Amino acid sequence: MRVVVALFLVGIWLDGAGTGVDTKILPRPIAFFLQVSALFPLAAHATIDYRAEGYDCRTHLFTELDTRPYFPIDTEDKENRFNRVMRFERHNAKTMHALDDYLVESHDRGNHDDGIPRDDRLGGVRLMSLRIPIPKVGDKLERWSRKPLDAYPESERHEFYRTPPSKIEARCVHPR
Amino acid sequence: MSLIARIEYWLDEPQHVLRAETLRVLAPLVVLGFMSARLAHVGDWIGDEGFRVPDLGGDWTQPLYVPALPSWAADAVGAAMVVSALLVVVGFKTKPSALVFASICAFVALSDRLAAYSVSKLAPTITLAIFASTAGARVSIDALRKRPRKKKKKKAKPALEKDFLPCAAIRFIQVLPVVIYSASGVAKMRGDWLKEPLVLWSQIHGNYQTWLAFALASSLPAWTWTAMQATVLAFEVGAPLWFSWRRTRPYAVIYGLTMHVMIALLFAPVTWFSLLMITMLVVGYAPDRVFERVALKLPGTLGA
Repeated sequence: MRVVVALFLVGIWLDGAGTGVDTKILPRPIAFFLQVSALFPLAAHATIDYRAEGYDCRTHLFTELDTRPYFPIDTEDKENRFNRVMRFERHNAKTMHALDDYLVESHDRGNHDDGIPRDDRLGGVRLMSLRIPIPKVGDKLERWSRKPLDAYPESERHEFYRTPPSKIEARCVHPR
Repeated sequence: MSLIARIEYWLDEPQHVLRAETLRVLAPLVVLGFMSARLAHVGDWIGDEGFRVPDLGGDWTQPLYVPALPSWAADAVGAAMVVSALLVVVGFKTKPSALVFASICAFVALSDRLAAYSVSKLAPTITLAIFASTAGARVSIDALRKRPRKKKKKKAKPALEKDFLPCAAIRFIQVLPVVIYSASGVAKMRGDWLKEPLVLWSQIHGNYQTWLAFALASSLPAWTWTAMQATVLAFEVGAPLWFSWRRTRPYAVIYGLTMHVMIALLFAPVTWFSLLMITMLVVGYAPDRVFERVALKLPGTLGA
């Protein structure tokens, strides 16, 4: 038992130090529990936030969709599960399609206010990150607050996923 | 004496029993505090009411695919988590309760990678340390139940013998934060901490920002951020030395406690991680005389 504990501690160190040895030799569910250190090793070059827009089948426009009602844990910070899925899986098509379906179905159930009228059906979503530049030391700072998507210039928005037009059409023209 | 024998001797050196009891009481409460936001929405968290990442068939971002639980099962797991944690806190059936709590913590960490952080991953390990320790021997319902109904006149054991028991789990709690600091220090060195003077400054913006972080960011000159960055790096990289050398240990503990308080005040969502680290530092490194004083104030079987 003591040898296992010692190996566990060595594993935490090897993972935190960035050797990658643990993930190469251990099954992933075990290595996962070794990934507990290495907080903030890199300088941030922008403040990242993730947002969504929904395609309103009535207006034929993309409008900001507030995802917080559908991801109710830690709604006001980046520990929110929407932020986390975007952070880890934004390049994974399978997960993005699943997220697309989840957001559209959640809105269409009409149980929450999300910035798009409850009666309007959604045809799809646009998922993006906001990359807000970090001010320089000495600049006049503004306390962080969540602003509407329109408040950010296009240059700070980076789209990662957009529902394919054929899927939007199918949802808007032939709603289930 | 060989090196192995020395290590064995060090591991088995008696520890004040209240160290394990302090860990038993504080650690599950901190973990529950961290989990409380998740438990309030257990159906969204591990159940089928919220978004689930699909089975990615071995993608590195998914350590294990665990399907969503039906709502009733998610509620049951959430309830079992709370009950088992509280049973550990009050010391009722301490060891089995700790085993159940550790298992549930491991399950929820794997079940939802999106809501899993360092606290989620450390929780099973620390709870297993409680399981393997002398926790429950004092200040617990288990201790009260073991108390003999009629007091027999026995020759009282000396206080030192009663209050100090071999407990290698406490050694683990001493070593774990040092390993975490050391690894973090190396990660920071390999990252930007030696190249960029304002890494710390760059991290205090965005939605982690507290009012204090904003106030300090608005008022402190640039060099103070660089100075703080340098001391954090020196503390973490040198942690094995600072904590193992008797002369520097008290200062290392004070620095560590201060650092975690500051992290909690500057990065609100990291509060629970800070509290868990503070718990480990107190349990592992508070002087014996602190626990001896507490033991003196505890009545009867609770304390001795």
